[in-house]
Amino acid sequence: MSDQIDRLGKLLLVILPCIVVSACTTARVEDVRVTATGILDGEGVVIMARSYHLGNETEAKFTRCVGEALGRGASALRVVPNNEFVDALFPWFEPRTAPSDTKGLPDLLARPGVADKIAAKGVRYVIWLDGDTDRVAGGGSLSCAAGPGGGGCFGFAWWQNDSKYDAAVWDLTALQSAGTVSTDVSGTSFLPAIVIPIPLIARTRAKACKGLADQLKAFIVTDEFA
Amino acid sequence: MLHCPRTGSKVIITGWTFRICGTLTTCSALIYERATVQQSPLGRSNLTSNTLKAVLIAVFLTALGACSSQVTVNAPTIPDPLVDRIPISVAVKFPDTFEHFVHQENVIGKEKWTIDLGRSNTLLFTKLFDAMFEEFTVVDDSVDPRDLPIDAWIEPSIDAFEFSVPSQSQTPSFAVWIRYRIKIFDSGGKQFANWPISAYGKSLSTTLGGDDALRRAAVLAMRDAAALVIMQMDRATGISSLNRETLSKVAASPEPAMPEPALPETAPEESQTTASEDTTNETG
Repeated sequence: MSDQIDRLGKLLLVILPCIVVSACTTARVEDVRVTATGILDGEGVVIMARSYHLGNETEAKFTRCVGEALGRGASALRVVPNNEFVDALFPWFEPRTAPSDTKGLPDLLARPGVADKIAAKGVRYVIWLDGDTDRVAGGGSLSCAAGPGGGGCFGFAWWQNDSKYDAAVWDLTALQSAGTVSTDVSGTSFLPAIVIPIPLIARTRAKACKGLADQLKAFIVTDEFA
Repeated sequence: MLHCPRTGSKVIITGWTFRICGTLTTCSALIYERATVQQSPLGRSNLTSNTLKAVLIAVFLTALGACSSQVTVNAPTIPDPLVDRIPISVAVKFPDTFEHFVHQENVIGKEKWTIDLGRSNTLLFTKLFDAMFEEFTVVDDSVDPRDLPIDAWIEPSIDAFEFSVPSQSQTPSFAVWIRYRIKIFDSGGKQFANWPISAYGKSLSTTLGGDDALRRAAVLAMRDAAALVIMQMDRATGISSLNRETLSKVAASPEPAMPEPALPETAPEESQTTASEDTTNETG
């Protein structure tokens, strides 16, 4: 019994640092407001990724993460699922056909059925996400070996990730841009290994998602012009 | 670890081995040869040898399987488009390839990919044309569309199918290009337009593997084609001018006026329109 407790203790000693310690990140979130915002009961938002026809590489999991973060917690917004919105308005929000700026909104809403569908979905704001997470630097070396008697790793590796995302907010009621929220999170991850590798991961994308979602909530709900 | 003198390489028998197909195949054969030669005189080796043979065959087949990917695209979701119907009656003849289109490609030095679009093209264009035209019918090869009371008939086909995987593009994305050709004939069977369209779909690879990403890229390419057809078909081919009522009114008119041409003046006999690759913003 005491052997088991002893083993468990050693295991915790190895695992705990991995859970508790994480690498540092630097985050910057800012917004530029163009018009007054605000949202009424029954109104919602839809999160869209900018078209890949325009070279955008925003990850689907980041779009999902922002949508989920906007829909929970204090000042939660009603988020209309992206695919539901795109399907309902087919073919006007496909990667090739989606409007690239707000100048096209009046023409788009004048098309047969488009305004009705948007009203039926209760979408007040379209949030266009642009950007991605890149590995900007890295180095070190790490090697692992395994044999009949066991295995282990030795070495040190590091890499730096940069998560840069912009969210353009379009007001479909006013048919104009409400403003932009942007975030830039960079962080360096480390992976030292002496027999057991201990990952110290900088979760830049997750931090960018949370920072962007929090700022978007404040941007949409709080009307600073009022 | 196994040393393989034939290839001069070492193979570690782990899950990773399945990725180094050629080496493993050669070494598997070599191991089997050695096992056969080193049989003991007691006769127990037959069992060992048979077991080894079975294991090696299983490993070999698994390795082969790991070197090829099969992606099947079932009916893609094409929602009801928000468009006004074109007031003409059309018939559509689908080629055999639309019923079962399979594309195979060996990515050099890597894997073999098989993409089976199945009936998805037939379903795509059936849904699309049904939403676009006032009257629409699908005809098979046994029917001569000239015998039907229609304004036009359409023959879509696939000119080319291409894709790229992350190892080729050096990006984390799978991309699919489909080049369709849409031929339009008037009610008398004379070719009126020949319109190629290039559709493109792209999807980021996931941690679960490339099959889903490639399937999604193919579906996005098909949706892209659908969007292109909806937005540009009439403008590019002038199909709406084939309305027989309009044509008969024009013919009966004393003025030699033609209906508003949908295409430049070169169009009437046979319009050959180039594929649109740009990102024209229709709403702008």
